[in-house]
Amino acid sequence: MSHELTDKQKKALAFFDSRLNSKLITHLISCVHCGLCGTSCAYYITEERPENLPAHKVDIVARIYRRYHTFAGKHFPQLTGAHDLDDELTTEMIDSLFGRCTMCGRCVAHCSIGVDIPFVVRTGRMMLQQMGLVPKSIQSTVDAAINTGNNMAIPKQDFIDTINWLNDDLQFELDDDTVTIPLDKHDVKMLYTVNPREPKFFPLSISAMAKIFYLAKESWTLSTDYYDITNYAYFVGDEEGAKLLTERLINETLKFGADTLVLGECGHGSRAMRWEGPNWLGKPYPVKAITVVELIAQYLREGRIKPDPAKLIKERVTIHDPCNLVRNGGVIDEQRYIISQCCTDFVEMEPHGIDNFCCGGGGGQLAMSEYNDRRLRIGKIKADQITATGAKIVVTPCHNCVDQLSGINLEYKLGVQIKSIAEIVADTL
Amino acid sequence: MATIEIDGRTFEVDGDGFLVNPKEWNEEVAQLFANQDGTGELTEQHWAVIKNIRSHWEKTDMAPMVRSICQDTGIRLRELYGLFPQGPARGACKIAGLPKPDGCV
Repeated sequence: MSHELTDKQKKALAFFDSRLNSKLITHLISCVHCGLCGTSCAYYITEERPENLPAHKVDIVARIYRRYHTFAGKHFPQLTGAHDLDDELTTEMIDSLFGRCTMCGRCVAHCSIGVDIPFVVRTGRMMLQQMGLVPKSIQSTVDAAINTGNNMAIPKQDFIDTINWLNDDLQFELDDDTVTIPLDKHDVKMLYTVNPREPKFFPLSISAMAKIFYLAKESWTLSTDYYDITNYAYFVGDEEGAKLLTERLINETLKFGADTLVLGECGHGSRAMRWEGPNWLGKPYPVKAITVVELIAQYLREGRIKPDPAKLIKERVTIHDPCNLVRNGGVIDEQRYIISQCCTDFVEMEPHGIDNFCCGGGGGQLAMSEYNDRRLRIGKIKADQITATGAKIVVTPCHNCVDQLSGINLEYKLGVQIKSIAEIVADTL
Repeated sequence: MATIEIDGRTFEVDGDGFLVNPKEWNEEVAQLFANQDGTGELTEQHWAVIKNIRSHWEKTDMAPMVRSICQDTGIRLRELYGLFPQGPARGACKIAGLPKPDGCV
């Protein structure tokens, strides 16, 4: 007996229909239940329960496909594992697709047949978005970005005052009162972007990057309107919103006559802007989009910045690889090159690179306080990885990871420092 | 909604431990939260920060920029990070009884 669909459920199913192409169908029907995804997933490793299995998360969406798009599922749903899109299923979708997945993609790398599990999870999140069922805590972050231009709703004057304050400090540090952190400067080569948590609470990383730009003699600016590299709309499956946020940064780059958009240290923001954005816009960008990690590596290779041998970091350093920048974004060697130039004692985590574990804060987890306990619990894997290196400093090119790592640093009493790439480089200049 | 119990008192909090009902907040509650998150006994400097955050939030419904906290209280940024081991957002704002700020914090 099928239940009467609500208007919102009908809307979500119509959306699902519109997305149902050979790629999605293939990923929905191909799982061979080998279980390798389970042993790759931080949630399942931490707690071996069925709802933590990546394959189970795929199956939730596949149940909807079977129920409405297969003969057997339409007529014999109970026999085929098909399920109506009803309140019971949407409750499970919210808990599993938002609450038990960081969309890190480690399961894809381990899947015996290459099912793109986060792609299916994102499709499920999109359906929830169509039904207005995105958890409020993360939706408010999206709303702030769309309505105010940045995800923390920082008023423009507060941003300007903060940058000017940093500028005074930087002039003092470099003993040069001609140094400026340029705001809304036209006819420059690059527009730089930041995570709003930097101006709001952790601005030293902005000063660090400004110091690097200054020493590299770069032509750059920050925008006072649109400087936010994050794209939480991407996490919640709101493609219209994701497209709008992308357009703003591209238009802002053009507005200042720049030919390069520099993506600040933000994993998902870099991935969204670098790899997903052109798809949302339906065309290639008219400007280059480059991550700041690649840019700093380039400065070092070209000798535009030179670490002072007396200032090299001698404490043991390890790198945490942000999933969206590394496994899903292909920036792997550049951060290692940078660290090799700035630090004398570097140790890799195991595993690392494209096989690295998520910090536990990806996929919007840091914004969703309702799943805070799970986030800290799965962070134990990362905590153990860090401990095994014996490192005193963990460097990571993602402010979201920085926050999660800071959380597990306290939770598991690791006693390490967490730094961004720009911060560790600036310390040696 | 979760609850936490500190020294026999129960508070309704969100998943990150931020107070749900801002009216429950007072200086005694702030000290209880500080005891619980590793900040410890609140000093004059802590209070300067907490009161600054609280009054800004009461006026604007938002946490202040860390710049304005530093400028208003005369406390340097690195000192501020040292005062609150959980940081300005998850530490100082939580002790000041604010809701969790949006974004990557």
